[in-house]
Amino acid sequence: MKAKHYKLLAISLFLLAGCLSANAEDLKRIVSLSGEWKFSIGDDSKWANPSFNDSDWDHISVPGKWEDQGYNDYNGYAWYRKSFRINEIPSNTTLYLMMGRIDDADVVYLNGKEVGKSGKFPPDFKTAYDRPRKYIITPDLLKPDGENVIAVKVYDSYMEGGIVEGPTGIYIDEDNDLLSLNLSGKWKFHTGNNRSWRATDFDDSDWDKIYVPSVWENQGYEDYDGYAWYRLEFSLPQNFTTGDLYLSLGKIDDEDDVYLNGELIGTVNDLRRNFNYGNSGWQYNARRIYKIKDGLLNRNGKNVIAVRVFDGQGLGGIYEGPIGIMTAENSRRYKNLHPSNDISFWEYMYDKFFGNNNN
Amino acid sequence: MRTIFKTNSIRILSITALLYFFAQNCKAYPGEEGLVLLQSLKGNWLFSIGINEEWASPKFNDSSWESIKVPSAWEDQGFNGYNGYAFYRKKITISSSYKGRMLYLNMGYIDDVDEVYLNGHKIGSTGSFPPNYNTAYNAERVYFVPEEDITFDGPNLIAVKVYDAIGEGGIISGEIGLYAGKNSANLTLNLQTTWKFQTGDDLKRKDPDFDDSSWKEIFVPAKWEDQGYRDYDGYAWYRKTFTYNTTEDNEKMVIMMGKIDDIDQVFINGTLVGSTGNLTSRANSDVSAGQEFDAFRGYFIPDGLLKKNQKNVIAVRVLDTGGAGGIYEGPVGLITQSKYIEFWRNIKKSSR
Repeated sequence: MKAKHYKLLAISLFLLAGCLSANAEDLKRIVSLSGEWKFSIGDDSKWANPSFNDSDWDHISVPGKWEDQGYNDYNGYAWYRKSFRINEIPSNTTLYLMMGRIDDADVVYLNGKEVGKSGKFPPDFKTAYDRPRKYIITPDLLKPDGENVIAVKVYDSYMEGGIVEGPTGIYIDEDNDLLSLNLSGKWKFHTGNNRSWRATDFDDSDWDKIYVPSVWENQGYEDYDGYAWYRLEFSLPQNFTTGDLYLSLGKIDDEDDVYLNGELIGTVNDLRRNFNYGNSGWQYNARRIYKIKDGLLNRNGKNVIAVRVFDGQGLGGIYEGPIGIMTAENSRRYKNLHPSNDISFWEYMYDKFFGNNNN
Repeated sequence: MRTIFKTNSIRILSITALLYFFAQNCKAYPGEEGLVLLQSLKGNWLFSIGINEEWASPKFNDSSWESIKVPSAWEDQGFNGYNGYAFYRKKITISSSYKGRMLYLNMGYIDDVDEVYLNGHKIGSTGSFPPNYNTAYNAERVYFVPEEDITFDGPNLIAVKVYDAIGEGGIISGEIGLYAGKNSANLTLNLQTTWKFQTGDDLKRKDPDFDDSSWKEIFVPAKWEDQGYRDYDGYAWYRKTFTYNTTEDNEKMVIMMGKIDDIDQVFINGTLVGSTGNLTSRANSDVSAGQEFDAFRGYFIPDGLLKKNQKNVIAVRVLDTGGAGGIYEGPVGLITQSKYIEFWRNIKKSSR
């Protein structure tokens, strides 16, 4: 009876952890974007421009709904602007712009360039009020000396509105340090399913480009569920590390088949044995680490990764890093850092403290 | 009516109802905590029992009418035992310094049913006259006064048609007067006026060329229950044809639609510009509404959609899932984006 209670507790904590996935992710903040922002209701595309003079704008505190900050009953468009400085821009890593939970729809600009959007503006309005925003920014978008400007256009249909909940800031994933080759960035993307898309020499030049890792809902595929393919062509740097190598694809929502140079190297179902609690939906939380067969990587020419993803419902895509190639030693280190890969974190804690050693 | 209430508990209930209605009416639009009194209209009015539609007209000669004190029950003013129709009339001057402000006429509590005219134009009505009689004795009458009906700095005639079924009758109580909104929206075009109205649903009604000449007229903003559509729930459409005269170049425009009970879609010249709540093409019974009725509407109009100095048509599809329905609270009209920003910043200032 007592044990059952703990199980229930563990399950509810696990569900809670799912809701707070943006926080649960082990990212390190390098720039905080909470606090006072400039704010204006209304809409004007000029407001995305970093040189726009917002000195006569109102102030607002982020995060926090605008209803609590003098704009009670306001529905419609509003813009947030903030400038910040960054002393040292990390290289060879992925930068994440976390904008927290925005009610209802948004598009975010960094120094005038669109870096992500969620939901849909009218007339085809669609809310994304329940999703934390995580957008990828490339280091070249940031200015090392001087002011950087973030502008966020928000549309709220009704009830509470704005950047309502944190975390907000620029983050890095320290797991990327484990990669010998970081492959995050823009990949080729196509919805649908076609076996020929795994082939190395398939011509994907007319495919869309989307950021990896980030859900496709944040990148123009708001309502999409079902099959989609990702492709990336890359070559190895000279004198690339030898020995056993692993491909890390982070977390994928929900299922994947991964091909390297035309050959299947793994699928999420290979990881199933690690998930002994066997509930449905475990796939989206599994960390993808697939061993690369000896000799499969082309050391002197192009290599092609093709990933078929199936998303059952809700968010979809390769949504969390690290993305890239790891040595065997680092792949072990990575697994040790994230025991929740083998079993759910709460299951792990439960086993640790209540001694159920059947696993 | 109230004389039929004998017990204290019913009296308390009716007071609660009064307070409720007061609370409903005192907030004219977001952020506003009541209206500012410009001129009191308490005191002597001219009065006649009976009914004659000419009595609403400013041209009618009322010099032979009796004087009556407002507010008070006519039973206390020499008309004891009278039930039925009566008219109140009063001439007032409205200063041109009030131009551009949102003006409201508070006629207090009227027992049982009323219809109010300014210079012969109906500006509001509460309750329902016979044969479909329905009392509204416990509702405070606050009517928006359209600027187009006002003769600034000249004589303006207020005429109030009252019907009393039983017991006390007339303009019984209240802070009768002309009021202004505290935080007036500086509208480019005020659309708080008479619109075309038709119950039912047909998406063709969004088209600017749709023929609405056979439609009924309705006042906006006011719930349709007070305007002859008692107990109506379901779809209805509002249409208004207007000319948008402007000298302003390339100003972004916002259509303010106030509050709508429950769900709406707003079309300008046939194009959807905004919506609150989820209207699907499914049957009424499948659509549920939550807090939509309380949401304040301001929709941003895509550039180039409004035709300057030409005819434009706004069509509003409304679904009321129960209770009161329609475009029931202002402000309603076109405003420039910069004035709209100012409007909200004033609300923020006054809410501190």
